[in-house]
Amino acid sequence: MAGVSLENWVERIRDPKIECMSRDEMADLQSKRLVEVVNRVYKNVEFYRKKMQQRGVEPGDIKSIEDIEKLPFTTKEDLKNNYPFGLLAIPMKDVVRVQGTSGTTGKLTIAPYSQKDVDVWGECVARGLTMAGLTDEDIIHVCYGYGLFTGGLGLDFGAKALGATAIPMSAGNTKRQMMCMEDLGATAFACTPSYALYLAESIQEAGKVDSMKLKAGIHGAEPWTEEMRRKIESILHINCFDIYGLCEITGPGVAQDCIHKAGLHVHADYFYPEVLNPATHEKCADGETGELVFTTLAKEAMPLIRYRTKDLTSIDHSTCECGRTLPRISKFKGRTDDMKVIRGVNVFPTQVETALLSMGGVVAPHYLMIVDREDNMDVLTVMVEVDESVFSDEIRKLDALRNKIAAVLKTALGVSVRVKLVEPKTIQRSEGKAVRVIDNRKL
Amino acid sequence: MIRQISVFVENQPGSMLKVTSVLSDAGVNIRAISTFDTPEFGIMRLVVDDPVQAKNSLTEKGFVTRVSEVIGAELKDEQGNLNQMLKILAEGRINVNYIYSFVIRKGKAPVMVFHTDDFGKAEEVLRAADVKLVEEEEL
Repeated sequence: MAGVSLENWVERIRDPKIECMSRDEMADLQSKRLVEVVNRVYKNVEFYRKKMQQRGVEPGDIKSIEDIEKLPFTTKEDLKNNYPFGLLAIPMKDVVRVQGTSGTTGKLTIAPYSQKDVDVWGECVARGLTMAGLTDEDIIHVCYGYGLFTGGLGLDFGAKALGATAIPMSAGNTKRQMMCMEDLGATAFACTPSYALYLAESIQEAGKVDSMKLKAGIHGAEPWTEEMRRKIESILHINCFDIYGLCEITGPGVAQDCIHKAGLHVHADYFYPEVLNPATHEKCADGETGELVFTTLAKEAMPLIRYRTKDLTSIDHSTCECGRTLPRISKFKGRTDDMKVIRGVNVFPTQVETALLSMGGVVAPHYLMIVDREDNMDVLTVMVEVDESVFSDEIRKLDALRNKIAAVLKTALGVSVRVKLVEPKTIQRSEGKAVRVIDNRKL
Repeated sequence: MIRQISVFVENQPGSMLKVTSVLSDAGVNIRAISTFDTPEFGIMRLVVDDPVQAKNSLTEKGFVTRVSEVIGAELKDEQGNLNQMLKILAEGRINVNYIYSFVIRKGKAPVMVFHTDDFGKAEEVLRAADVKLVEEEEL
């Protein structure tokens, strides 16, 4: 228990030259990098070349960061259509790593990295860890999952860049997590906010708060509220930081908030953020809500040009109290599509539909997803209509049907699902704009 | 044999009322009713005087129904009679999936309705033991 109050806080900045750069200098750096990346993708990636040609834009038209508006957008759909390596801008032999996340239908959205991409990723996470007050003397307990998911490895790379000690716990087994946290003297931990709260409460119940050396928590990969943050902070007497990232762009570490909690600082020297009106695609003024669009300015393996994240936020270019000039994005205000983040996993309603259809007509593909938060854990309920062909007069057969649907959905989505059988025609049909998801979480 | 109608209903206020309203509007007489519930859904099982009419009206109103056969055995209203019938079935190694009862008003005899996996054998052992089986015309 070593949480530091704001009065005693010593702000550390890993790369003050970049993080506190004047806006003009930053624009120069971004311009230089944008020109480079546009030339590179035009030369090496057919998809971008064609898209730019269709729009009548040539690399020579891009002279400064202001010219970014001339470039076409890239969408998740484009990633799907070019799955898996269609957007690769380097030879496959130079790809040192691939990470992934769920796509809109069965297939993954994958992100390949060069060695330099991995280094940049680690550097950005290390900047965030420094924002959280951590140094090479800290012991960082990583209980994000390790694997294709970028959470675990991203924090691991960040701890390595910082020179801190990483404990690669991965997710699950709370008792063991607590034991290692205590025995190995973790000073910080990283995981989804919902698990952080669960872990905090477990530590409290076990009467172990005082035997922990924790001072910071790094949490992201799912939406959370200020209330949740305060709760984790007050139970463990630590400071919690909100980290953001998306696999396609690099993983966690694209942005993170500092002790002032006034928005998440975007590492805009690597990831250029635009906030655009989702309908008109016009640039939003500071403070105005729009869709977050990223251009990776230095990525080698799979650079993304004006990638539409579908996350709704607003941006603030003013200098933060911490001294950083890096632009800040606000906590997310929703999505332009119906993707939901459930226990850190991206879930699209189309995945549910595909899974139900894959059952070969056993169930009608009429469904409704309901997301709740019970005891700070996300719970996904999928309502499925029972029709004459599957209705059995026996409870045990209906129960078996329900269990089978739940198993199919769990395999397809990667999260466990409660299945609720409902009467036919009680779910709205998909003509027009059917509501497929109801989110009852107060985020 | 008696035909029974099973209706899928969600476990929420008013869901059974919706079923009985449809039947009432269709002029169908309910002889017996039994419900089985889980926390979320239930199955209403009904014995009615006109199963075809009942099914058609319910289907028309969007209910999921299934008509299945059940055995109706008339018992004398005396102590030990249900026990006796179950003993006959058990000795015949017949599994009873579920059972419920009703009374035919005119005769005032209790009727036990039950579902099994082996109707032929169930009827056989009951008849052999002189248990009166109720047919649909008698409802």
